[in-house]
Amino acid sequence: MSNKKNKNLNRRSFIKNIGVGFAGTIAAAPLLKSHAKKLPEEIKDSLDGKVEVTVYVNGRKFRRNIFPQTTLAQFIRDELNLTGTKVSCNHGECGSCTVLIGSDAVYSCQMLALDADQKFITTIEGLMKNDELGEVQKAFVDKDGLQCGFCTPGQIISAYALLKKNPAPSEEEIREAMSGNLCRCGAYPKIIESVDAAAKLLKK
Amino acid sequence: MKNADVINHVKGTSLFIDDFPAPEGVLHIAVFDSKIACGKITKLNYDKVLSVPGVAAVITAKDIPGENQIGNIVSDETILADGEVEYIGEPIAIVAADTVENAKAAANLIEIEFDELPAVTDPREAYEKGNLIAPPQTFSDGDVEKGFAESDVVIDGRVDIGGQEHLYLETQGAMAVPSEDGKIKIYSSTQSPTAVQRAAAKVLGVPMHKIETDVLRLGGGFGGKEDQATPWAVMTALVSRLTGKPAKLILSRQDDLRMTGKRHPYSADYKIGLSRDGEILAYEATYYQNAGACADLSTAILERTLFHATNSYFIPNVKTTGISCKTNLPPNTAFRGFGGPQGMFVMETAIYKAAEKLGVPAYEIQKKNLLKENDSLYYGQKAERVQAERCWNEAAEEFNLQEKFAAVKEFNEKNNLRKKGVALMPICFGISFTSSFLNQASALVHVYTDGSVGVSTAAVEMGQGVNEKIRSVVSQTFSISQEKVKMETTNTTRVANTSPTAASSGADLNGNAALLACNNILNRLKKFAAESLKEDDPAKVEIKNEKIFYDGKETGMNWESFINDAYFNRINLASHAFYATPEVYFDRTINKGRPFAYHVYGTAIITAEVDILRGVCEIESVDVVHDFGKSINRQVDLGQVEGAVVQGIGWLTMEELVQNDEGKLLSNSLSTYKIPDIFSAPKEMNVKFLEDSENPFGPLNSKAIGEPPFMYGIGAYFAIMNAMKEYNPNADKEIRAPLTHERVLMSLKNLK
Ligand code: FES
Ligand code: FES
Repeated sequence: MSNKKNKNLNRRSFIKNIGVGFAGTIAAAPLLKSHAKKLPEEIKDSLDGKVEVTVYVNGRKFRRNIFPQTTLAQFIRDELNLTGTKVSCNHGECGSCTVLIGSDAVYSCQMLALDADQKFITTIEGLMKNDELGEVQKAFVDKDGLQCGFCTPGQIISAYALLKKNPAPSEEEIREAMSGNLCRCGAYPKIIESVDAAAKLLKK
Repeated sequence: MKNADVINHVKGTSLFIDDFPAPEGVLHIAVFDSKIACGKITKLNYDKVLSVPGVAAVITAKDIPGENQIGNIVSDETILADGEVEYIGEPIAIVAADTVENAKAAANLIEIEFDELPAVTDPREAYEKGNLIAPPQTFSDGDVEKGFAESDVVIDGRVDIGGQEHLYLETQGAMAVPSEDGKIKIYSSTQSPTAVQRAAAKVLGVPMHKIETDVLRLGGGFGGKEDQATPWAVMTALVSRLTGKPAKLILSRQDDLRMTGKRHPYSADYKIGLSRDGEILAYEATYYQNAGACADLSTAILERTLFHATNSYFIPNVKTTGISCKTNLPPNTAFRGFGGPQGMFVMETAIYKAAEKLGVPAYEIQKKNLLKENDSLYYGQKAERVQAERCWNEAAEEFNLQEKFAAVKEFNEKNNLRKKGVALMPICFGISFTSSFLNQASALVHVYTDGSVGVSTAAVEMGQGVNEKIRSVVSQTFSISQEKVKMETTNTTRVANTSPTAASSGADLNGNAALLACNNILNRLKKFAAESLKEDDPAKVEIKNEKIFYDGKETGMNWESFINDAYFNRINLASHAFYATPEVYFDRTINKGRPFAYHVYGTAIITAEVDILRGVCEIESVDVVHDFGKSINRQVDLGQVEGAVVQGIGWLTMEELVQNDEGKLLSNSLSTYKIPDIFSAPKEMNVKFLEDSENPFGPLNSKAIGEPPFMYGIGAYFAIMNAMKEYNPNADKEIRAPLTHERVLMSLKNLK
């Protein structure tokens, strides 16, 4: 496998590329914190231009050597094989790739995996309670808050993040919090119902 | 009971193409496309590409082993441009490499030069230049000239309607895996498995039996993957064939937006004649369809525009002409409604303008002219089981139309800087492919020895719930629990010659085929049951809730053990069945016939509010009475209506495709092309099921649902217009969709 091209990709131009079209609404907040200072040394030290990253995903620790330009979405999907997190626009404009960092919902396509170093990440797979559906997942099933299902993991993560902060949101607050997650199937009315139902389930 | 898909979706375990575990050695494809909209290729050099590490192949037109042709209706579309290009985004070469990054980087090293020619992007200009996809088509009935002569009021005008990007959240993609003897299996995100198989076989120069298409599910289609999933799937097969390796291609969002076609923009002229009391006596319309650079499905789409030109109204004298204009844009394609929405929009505009002229509200003209039982539609079909007036009246009653009008009037009197408007939107949408031969489907039902059931059909699941509906049909027919029934992938080796899952007909055609297959098995089982009970009348055998009854009495046999017995007694537990919609035909020499099995009716009442200072509009409520027939699954059907309404509102109020004169798409991201977000969904949506509607053509008396409710969105346009007119009676000079906030503001101030 050749990595020649990847070595040439410098991080600054990469950030420039992903920085455009940042339609960041609620879901994408504190991203792109730069590792620029410590990066060159790490690249030098590590084999093949890769750097080491350690993240805690769904309660498990993962250590991997990755190219520095790897986005968190790529990392989750390609390195960890957690394909529940979807990529649709790769530009921070649709919310399909939403994951939790700590308790914040972020667009994982807009964050470098390196910037998630040492962080606690929750993906859709992590909302399961062993083999049972988590409350928010259950509410989306009960209320049919989806059609094709492609936006669904992102929707559920955003709903979960909202309900952790605001256990009893009004309809307006639900719309506000979910506005960074597009659904082309237009399941919005049922998504609102689902979030509302999830709030009630979580209260129990 | 919910579809198993729903559970997988919320768990994040349902797989889309890009989630499939990639086979060892898979090659990734980058597509090198045209940067100009029209011209000849004078130089194409890829020497540098081959030296990039990881690159396995570069493929151009000359490397194609079979025919360089993927046109579906008309053979006018190459898979890779050969000598000339006709739109920005047209594929010219493909590069396959070990990683996506390497493939893309290598593709950037291709050197190309063009002799550029001027691009045409406007359909009327194309028409004037004689650039047509096909000869114009005219439908007519009665005598329009006589009709206009007898009318008290005749008006004419022009309408411009924008296109619409599908924006399925899962972008186009496919993966091909070679196996022995030159066979290739293509996993595709397509609505048309057979179209992919046929095109791949043609391009590779192999018989169709060497190509297998398999479709698990789509992350949205909306028509955008009916014809236009094909090129990407064929490219993976091509790479696979030429390298012997598996190959995968997932378009990035930017590539998808740039390279694929959209809903057709239309420009149209109309003329309408009415009696003084609002009866429509004559209607004439000419549609200039912006087809883009190749035919794709444009002619069929245009024909559906003509079929739906009069929406749900009876008009005695009608003449419509459709002109499919060839422009230098990506080939426009199917999108929910398939030309119907554009036809209906022009009709509604004509009524709206006529109402202004007559000094009456548009809804009075709409109501007065609604179709009645046995009215003849102008393409020759008699309207049967008509629900137009019932839906209208029930909507008016159920949602207190008069009170709504009064409330809006009061609001408008009290407010100067916020205005509200109400509009009604009746629909009548014909169900069946208008290319009659497509109205066929097959199903393969397997009952396994443990009593579980596997079902394969030609239907593709893309979120519309077709699999859930077919599963219900099967479980109800056998009277077994839904969990016992599994829907298999749509696969061309199990079900051949599939019609696309389109025209809202997926559940009708495939549900009926599955029903026939189940009944075949059921009849064998009943005969076997009667024999094993030593009774003589199989008709007296009944299966209820997995128990076997004879003559109304329990026999002690249950489904599982009974099936096992049947197997050991060599009863055939599998059936393949075929369904073709009866009685549909259309004679294109006279443009008359019975193209539709039936029609779907409904009425929506839409209320909009406009912020006069900012031009911002909100859809306050959408209240619908819809004719679902006897719904197989109310939740699924309700979701379809809600989603379609949101998409229809998006088309007419916010989704604006912008190209520059050189044919370059400027609205090329989700930040410049706005689709409805959760705020744009109507604040309130109420959908009432029309009760007691029967439909002998639908499985279990149901009706098709996918497309018809999309057209309720048209009411949003006129509700906003009505609100604007409350502030400025001259605000609606121009009928141009979408009515974006910007355009609302400009119209309110009469600015261009
Ligand atoms: S926001 Fe990350 S994929 Fe769209
Ligand atoms: S369910 Fe299809 S995009 Fe949301």
